[in-house]
Amino acid sequence: MSAFHRLAALALPFTLTAALHAQANPPAPAPAPDLSDPEVAHVAVTANSIDIDAGKFAETRTKNPAVKQFAATMITDHSAVNVQAAALAKKLGVTPADNAVSQSLQTGAAEARKNLESLHGAAFDRAYIAREVGYHQAVLDALDKLLIPTTDNAELKKLLQDVRPAIAAHLEHAKQLHAQLAAPAKTGQ
Amino acid sequence: MILRLVLLLATSPASKTHTVEIRGMEFHPAELTVAVGDTIEWVNRDIVPHTATASGHSKWDTGALTQDKTGRYVAQRAGVVRYSCTFHPTMHGKLTVR
Repeated sequence: MSAFHRLAALALPFTLTAALHAQANPPAPAPAPDLSDPEVAHVAVTANSIDIDAGKFAETRTKNPAVKQFAATMITDHSAVNVQAAALAKKLGVTPADNAVSQSLQTGAAEARKNLESLHGAAFDRAYIAREVGYHQAVLDALDKLLIPTTDNAELKKLLQDVRPAIAAHLEHAKQLHAQLAAPAKTGQ
Repeated sequence: MILRLVLLLATSPASKTHTVEIRGMEFHPAELTVAVGDTIEWVNRDIVPHTATASGHSKWDTGALTQDKTGRYVAQRAGVVRYSCTFHPTMHGKLTVR
């Protein structure tokens, strides 16, 4: 239980909380404290794409059936969300706009990927799932504190609200897996 | 005449169809009681695909249901079956067949 919280706290700074923090304490010219709808759309698509890429890498690296299944679900679900996001953006005539939050997400993802590429076996599984716990927690926080509140367009807001339960379920799924992987069982470590 | 009709309806094994909506990563209703011969329909209202898959000795499985697709199962025999979504182990439902 407390291990989850420690992990989430460790993983958080890599992703959206860093971006949120950067937004709250602008280093240079003060950016707007909230995002435009095209920027929100870009963050949503970026966040999904990052988890799809992580899942694709995990599928090739893991030997654990439960981790492989989790990775496959991440690819399927986040791809489905991105299809809807793209369709909505087209319908609304919105061109997703790159922004500091999206860039921070990509930087965090690149760092996480570098770390995961150096790992194999049970160590990889634990690191990947730990990252997924932290990532989904950060995305959930961002949805609640940044993305949903700052979105003006009702349809985009609804899409984000519709996606929220899936992110919450992914987080719980990742936490369950993390507990299983941490249990001193068959890993031999 | 009316009495006979009522009796006929009461005794005929008119099987019903029950609908379970999958939305917000949950089965609605999560617990359902049906009679043998009834049909249960699971309709996926979520963006992400789901299944309704029996656990234990029961073998029924809707397979992957993408958004707005429906899976069906006709209750075969009495008993209590717990089911879940194979993609999302946090989702649980209970089907009681009488």
